[in-house]
Amino acid sequence: VATAVAAPEAEPEAPKSRATVVERDDQGKRSGGFTPWLLLLPGMLWLLFFFFVPLWTLFRMSLSERVDRFSDPTFNWHWANYNEAFSQFGDQFYRSFVYAGSATVLALLIGYPLAYVIAFRGGRFRNVLLGLVVIPFFTNFLIRTLAWRTILGEQSWVTSLLRNVGILGDSSTLLRTPLAVIGGLTYNFLPFMVLPIYVALEKIDAGLIDAARDLYSTTWRAFRKVVLPMSLPGVFAGSLLVFIPAAGDFVNAYYLGNAHTTMIGNVVQDQFLVQGDYPVAAALSFVFMGIVMVLVTLYARILGTEDLT
Amino acid sequence: MRSRHRNQQIAAGISRRRFLERAGLLTGAVVLTPAVLAACGGDDDDSSSSGTGGGGGGSKSLAISNWTGYMSDQSLKDFRAQTGIKVDYAEDINDNNEYFTKIRPNLSKGNGTGRDGMVLTDWMASRLINQVKPPWVQPLDTAAFPNKKNLLPALQSPAFDPTRKYAVPWATGMTGIAYNVKTTGKEINTLDDFLNAPGTKTVLTEMRDTVGIFMLAGGVEVDNPTYSAAQPAFDALNKAVNDGKIDGFNGNEYVNDLGAGNLAAAFAWSGDVAQITKDNPDVRFAIPQSGGMLWSDNFMIPIGTDKVDLATEWINFFYDPKNAAVLTAEIQYVSPVSGVADQLTAMGGDAAKLVDNPLVVPTDASLQQLHIFGTLDADEEEKFDKRFSEILGAG
Repeated sequence: VATAVAAPEAEPEAPKSRATVVERDDQGKRSGGFTPWLLLLPGMLWLLFFFFVPLWTLFRMSLSERVDRFSDPTFNWHWANYNEAFSQFGDQFYRSFVYAGSATVLALLIGYPLAYVIAFRGGRFRNVLLGLVVIPFFTNFLIRTLAWRTILGEQSWVTSLLRNVGILGDSSTLLRTPLAVIGGLTYNFLPFMVLPIYVALEKIDAGLIDAARDLYSTTWRAFRKVVLPMSLPGVFAGSLLVFIPAAGDFVNAYYLGNAHTTMIGNVVQDQFLVQGDYPVAAALSFVFMGIVMVLVTLYARILGTEDLT
Repeated sequence: MRSRHRNQQIAAGISRRRFLERAGLLTGAVVLTPAVLAACGGDDDDSSSSGTGGGGGGSKSLAISNWTGYMSDQSLKDFRAQTGIKVDYAEDINDNNEYFTKIRPNLSKGNGTGRDGMVLTDWMASRLINQVKPPWVQPLDTAAFPNKKNLLPALQSPAFDPTRKYAVPWATGMTGIAYNVKTTGKEINTLDDFLNAPGTKTVLTEMRDTVGIFMLAGGVEVDNPTYSAAQPAFDALNKAVNDGKIDGFNGNEYVNDLGAGNLAAAFAWSGDVAQITKDNPDVRFAIPQSGGMLWSDNFMIPIGTDKVDLATEWINFFYDPKNAAVLTAEIQYVSPVSGVADQLTAMGGDAAKLVDNPLVVPTDASLQQLHIFGTLDADEEEKFDKRFSEILGAG
């Protein structure tokens, strides 16, 4: 009996403290004391240790100077690294963003219809179809890229077919061309486009499309006015997930391209592993991040995604 | 130098024909590493046990790093049986630059790497001995190295280590031109033959091999290279790339592509070609008339280990012609140890056949055509590396 009485007595304490929180917080969040902060803590610590600290280290490195080639660089606001990063690697920066942009557009052109069909026409095969999109990616990224060397190589039937119909000259192959690099990027990052778009499409209430049809909308108009706008968050997420890693990729350019198709990832790798020039490699990474941020912001503005994401 | 391209180490492994065979061994080594490293930390008492070893207690141990496909299981067993030293053998070197990047943070602070021995190519050995000060490697223990006398005379005094105080060759190889005669339609004897041959052609990402062959073709000596003397070679290489006479740069990827006919010709390493020609007689290897490159991968002891005597005992073992022959039969690279040919003959079977293979036991005539790329000081090397990366498109 005593405990049963004690319990209700203890109760009033809690609402009281909650009330004070509500008073303090205009947003009207209904959670107690520092619990939200506690819940945020792991994520924040993670960000601190695995994002901000490395970023800070990278930033210091990008402003460090080497006395000689293999001495440890020391931090002394050496802005010349940025000068070198900006001035010497324009071609590679340009190619990175053009190739990644092309790959993103291609992935969208292939990925959107695919996601659409799976979401609206997939029926009971939906999961199987999604599986088919994902399963090839259980194979290692590198193996998949190397496989394209064989597919596009001298001895492949693809090459001989293209030669027979006159698309390719007798001595040329698709391998080691910009097209191969863009193709490789598109292929390797396609699921990152398909899956977010699928999720966005799948959430759309079919009733809305029916409603549009009831109001004498054509199929195309219903798509344009209802489905497409509602799937834009998926398109936005997918584009970023394809564009950003594709722009930084160096594997496709190395294995499928030639000396005239190198991207900024190849330069960073060379600076880091071969030249041993960590400061310039770090400066390149920062310049790259800066450009990506500007491009992503512009893209978000154009797509009007303030309320989409 | 079995898989020395500057890119992905995984890729290097994949392109190796014997990858699967090795994968098991590698996995084993990786799994065992932590345990053995821990064991190594425990016994500091073996610095006193210099000399013969003689199969005593199992407390002596060594941690050795080497390239993929540079070891025979039999040799490892023999070494254990003969010396009683337990070896944690790891195939964790895939690329000189990459491995350098890995060990640099520790060695530049004067700390050890946790390994007692490692194998790196001439120019990287030179960097560790001469370019960084003080050296990041320790002198070998002469007392524990009586078999050093078996080192081939031609390899005894390279410019980077004139008395072989720090580094002795583990294996040696040639760089020349491998070609699929079906695709090229004719034999290849010169660099011009190579450049003018039809089909896809690649050169190596290893700067000294590619630039060295171009320098020799232009009549420039490579024994004492300078950046200014190498200009014409760089220009010729650049022109060949821009004219589409060279389609790409790679590491070991050429191995599969040559066999499959996807490549017409490629700058290549002798040991790789020795393995392809066995299955595919259309693939041939030529040293250009103007000259090819001779290189070695060298065994060295990094700073920060007190097991110099045991590590030297390890290399001493492999300088016994008998043991060197067992190793050579497996890895098919040129052995730096004299008397190996006789031992291979004595082994009989497939091993004996290797004696007639000029890729494994080079003839005197071919040795005449081979050149060792001389030492570069840090500034010169940086210029070479920068220009080469520019031509590769990454600089």
